[in-house]
Parts: sequence; C-alpha cells; structure tokens
Amino acid sequence: MMASQERVDAPWQQIRAQLPQFERADIVVGFPSFNNAETVKPVIEAVMAGLRQACPDASVLLVNQDAGSHDGTPELVKGAVEGRMSVALLHRATRTATGMESRLSGAWPSGREEAFHSFLSATKESGATACAVIDPAVRSVTPDWMTWLLSPIMESRAEYVAPVFLRPRYEGSLTNMLVYPLNRALYGSAMRYHAGGGCGMSGRLADLYLAQRFWDERAVRSSMDICLTTVAIAEDRSLCEAGLGEKLIQSPAGGDDVSSVVAQTVGAVFYFMERYQDVWEHRAQAQPVLHTGLPYRPQPDRGPINIDRMMRGFRQGLRDLLPIWEIILSPETLSGILPLALIEKDEFRFPPQLWAQTVYDFALAYHEKVLHREHLLKSLTPLYLGQMASLVLRTQEQKPEDVEVCIEELCDTFARMKPYLVERWRFS
Amino acid sequence: MKEMWEDAMLEAFHETSRRLGLFLPKLLALITFLVLGVVVGWLVKMLLMRVLSAVRFDAFCERMGLMPALARAGVVQPASSLIGRLGFWTVFLVFTLMGIDALSLPATANLMSVLLEFLPNLLASAFLLLCGILLGNFLGEAALITAVNAQIQEARLIAHFVRWGLYLFTGAMVLTQLGIAKEIVVAAFCIMFGGIVLALAIAVGLGGRNIARDKLERRLHRRRTEEDELTHI
Repeated sequence: MMASQERVDAPWQQIRAQLPQFERADIVVGFPSFNNAETVKPVIEAVMAGLRQACPDASVLLVNQDAGSHDGTPELVKGAVEGRMSVALLHRATRTATGMESRLSGAWPSGREEAFHSFLSATKESGATACAVIDPAVRSVTPDWMTWLLSPIMESRAEYVAPVFLRPRYEGSLTNMLVYPLNRALYGSAMRYHAGGGCGMSGRLADLYLAQRFWDERAVRSSMDICLTTVAIAEDRSLCEAGLGEKLIQSPAGGDDVSSVVAQTVGAVFYFMERYQDVWEHRAQAQPVLHTGLPYRPQPDRGPINIDRMMRGFRQGLRDLLPIWEIILSPETLSGILPLALIEKDEFRFPPQLWAQTVYDFALAYHEKVLHREHLLKSLTPLYLGQMASLVLRTQEQKPEDVEVCIEELCDTFARMKPYLVERWRFS
Repeated sequence: MKEMWEDAMLEAFHETSRRLGLFLPKLLALITFLVLGVVVGWLVKMLLMRVLSAVRFDAFCERMGLMPALARAGVVQPASSLIGRLGFWTVFLVFTLMGIDALSLPATANLMSVLLEFLPNLLASAFLLLCGILLGNFLGEAALITAVNAQIQEARLIAHFVRWGLYLFTGAMVLTQLGIAKEIVVAAFCIMFGGIVLALAIAVGLGGRNIARDKLERRLHRRRTEEDELTHI
C-alpha cells in the first residue's frame, strides 16, 4: 500500500518540481513517447488546436513520459508547446520492462504501462476532470480527436472513451475473432477493443484504475488497452467509442511474433475472467455502446493476405501440438478439430461454434492451470491461425462489410455458448 | 554310556535354549521393527500425500509435464501418491535395516551404517532426477510450442533434442552423485555432449547460415516480412 502510494506520488512530485506554480488542472493530456521526433510536433499542434476547440476555457496539463528517446523527443515536445500550456517532462525511473513486454505496444516502447500510471497519477493529484492519452507516433491525429475523446467525459456522457479506427477488414483479427466476441459474451458490452492511438477517461475512473492490482501483474500490464477497457466495462462505468478515422503509425511495428501477441492479449482477457467471475457469470444481452466521431466501417485490404502460411501453421499445430491440445481441449472439441486437417484449402472452414468452444476450453484450462500458462496461451496460436484462414477464405471474394457479418455471427455464437463455459467454470 | 547320552542331550538342549533365548528377542525386535516400519511408513505416506495435495503438487506436476511423461511410460498414478509410496518404502527400508542390524548377524554387520552413509547421496540423486525430469519436460514443451509457432517443420525433433539433452545431463549428474563409474560417466558425457554441440554447430554453420543471416537481418533492421503483413490486435 505504502509502495503504491509512493508510486502515485513520485510523478506528481516531478511535475511539481518542474511547475512549482501549478496547482490544479481540468484536463491532463498524456504523451508516452519514444523516438517520435518525426511526428511529435504535428501531433502536439493537433492536440493543442483540438483542446482550444473542445474545451477553450479549461486549464490543461500536458505530461510527456519518455522511455529514453535518442532523438530529442522530449525537447521537441517542450518546443512545440512554446509556453502556450503547462507541460511536464517525465522520464522513466527504472527499466523494469523487458523487450517481450513491449511487443504489444507496437510503436510504443516498453514501459507504456508506467507512462499510463504517471498520467493517471497526475490526473488524480491535479484534481482533473478528464485525462486523454495520445500516442505521438500516430501521424493521423487531428484536432477532432480531442473533441471526440474528451467531450463525452466533459459532458458527463461517459467515463471511458475508447478509440475505433477505420482499418482494413482483416486487421486486428485477434481482437475481432477472440477478444471482442468473448468479452462481449462475458460482460455484455459491444465495445470493439481497438488498441492504441488514443483514449480518454474521467478523473474518477483514473482513481479506480490506480487502485487496481493489475499494475503489478506482469502477465497483463503489457496489454494496457485491454486492461483499461475491461475494468471500465466490468466495473459498470459508462462507455463511449470514438471513431477516430485511420490510424497511421510513424513506423509500423514489424516482425512481431504472433504467438507472443496471442499470449499477451489472451492472457490479459483470461486474467480478468478470473478476477471478474462474479460479474460475467450474471451478465447477458450485449448493450450497445455510445458512439461519437466518425462511423466505423471496415476498409479494403492494403495488400495480399498470406493464407498458405496460416494454413501451414494450423496444420503443423495439429500434427505436433496434439499431445498438448489433448490436455487442454475437451474430447468433443478435439474431435471437431481433428477432421479439419483433412479438408482441402478451398473448402477449409473453422465453424464458429467449434471456435467458441475451443476458446472456452482454453479459458477453462487456464483457470484450472492444467499447463504452464504461457505454454497454454502460446499453443492457441495455430488454432487462431486456422480460424483466421477460415475467415479470409470465406470472405476474400466478398465486400469488406461481409467480414463484419462474420464477426457478428461469432459474437452470437459466443453468447449462445456461454452456458457451456459457465457450467464448467463453476465446477472447475 | 547312558549318562553321556543324557549329558549330550541336555547340553545340546541347553545350548539351543540359550541360543534361542538369545535369538528370540532379536527376532522379536526384527518383527517389532517391521511392524513399526509398516505403521510409521503408512503415517509418513499419508502425511506426505496430505501435504502434497494441500500444495496442489499433482496439478504442478501436470503443468510441468511430469505426469504425461509418466503416463507414456505406463505409470498412471498421481505424483503425490507416487511420492507417498516412495516415502513408505524408504521408512520401511530404514526400519527393516534396523531390524536386520538387531539380529547381529556377522554377514550384515555395519550394513546399517553403510546404508545410512549412502542415504544422503541417494536422496540427493532422487531430487536431482525429479528436477531433471521436470525441467526436461518443461523446456521440451516450450521448445516444441516455440518451434511450431515459428513453423519449423522439425519442431518435434528439436523438442526431443532439448528434452533428452536435459535427461542425459541429469542422468550423468545422478550417476556422478551416486559415485557409480564416475570417471567413465564424466568422460562419456563430455564426449557425447561435446559431439552433439559440435555437430549442431557444423550443421548450422554449413546448412543454416543463410537462415541465420536472414533472421539477424530481420531482427536488426525490422524488415517487413510475410509474418507481419497484418496486425493482430
């Protein structure tokens, strides 16, 4: 408790040391930066213009937490503000995060969770009504982002505003085929779980986040967006989605290991399933989420999709990981998956019901700890690739909107099969 | 003649009675030790099983891949039960040795002290063996999953290499600990392990240098490849 309080106080002490006259802010805007010299100036300009447009009379504190840039990003942040607003530059105190933990953040470096913690601490200590976090690596930030992210909070219409981006139909497929349908079935909220870019939250919600235990959980803290969104949903806070348009990143992350992404993302979802068991057991019927900003619609593909690689991954998993899947999956699920190995590529389909059952079996196995958890989560990767290949094969000749139909079908299947999970979870 | 016969008979009878009188308490002590061994062994077994069950040792062994490995070898009992039984037989053996020692037979003189001297080595070896098997299974499983996810076709072979490499290493350590053919084991292990490492180095150097270069280039320059044409979250 003591350490936790110190953790909250430390960033605020740094801010007060830099801004001794500063007392109170209405809005805190956080920038977690790392080598963003290329984009930081236009992003700051857009944010400041947006703040003038959305809340002209509000007192604003800009907080930049840098993860050790070599290109002078913090100085550029200060230069871009040019004394027009209060700005504090924070540096990471310790390097505790590993390279693996940074994977999910994409353009963000490791220590993103630390930066978020600092922004929330600043929000709490400055008594701010709202906090927005903007990724300085995103080239497509416009002044409207601030209106869309902050207005629902300032007008007390929502406590948490999550981003929704216009992106190619198969982008974010793990979110679309697992995180979104599963969490929608569990918590009854149609939040899309798009990650990164920007988000907004109320001061009260910031207090709640700071009191959470997940900051010390290595397994989940690298999936900050899932943590923040899931806690807000499970704690029954009012939610809003902000359509922010396209998310164009300064230098898109490359070479990410799919299995690490799967393990971190799904691990975070399963972690909260254990924590919020009492909540999700009783929730039903997905509620729509308030929407602001640009309407969401899937975009055409940016390039060809390598289905063969996905199929190879799935088939190899079926060949080599069978002894592990035998421990994790129920016999009925396994007997549904095995014949898929014999189907030719063009006819290959992973039925939605089988996919939902597979995900639920993995959640149960995670809960029962039948296997080392990282092994369990990583062994889901070939099955995820199979499901993804199935979706692409089914819809590649169709319109981008048809992918949404498939995702909606998945959501319905997950919701319909929820009793399968609840019954087994209770007796595990 | 008759007196001599009577004396011989009586002497033999007394001698046998005296010997029996000396031996019977020892036999009784042996039987007592055996009964005590069964009772104390059973208590130790129950205690071990309770403690292991309380700390969810079976689930741990399942997670570490020990149970599936034992199941493949035809052992289907839970790990806690196996360790309980091991505890029983260890205690029973100790009590049996005490009983045999109590018989004061010339052939078994010092047996107890010799075995007790050896017991720490035996226990250390058993512990090493358990750790080696658990670690071998864990790392083998990790290697298998990583290789499958990297779509390396020889994933199972790699996993077997890792698992059996660990088993081999453990076996050598156990035999060294037990003091069995120490020099031969160390020499054999060094030759075998060195040979494997050299073979792998040559194989990678000759056959896999392009793959290694590609991997390094991709890692250093973060070149976009077919793996990252989509974002997953």
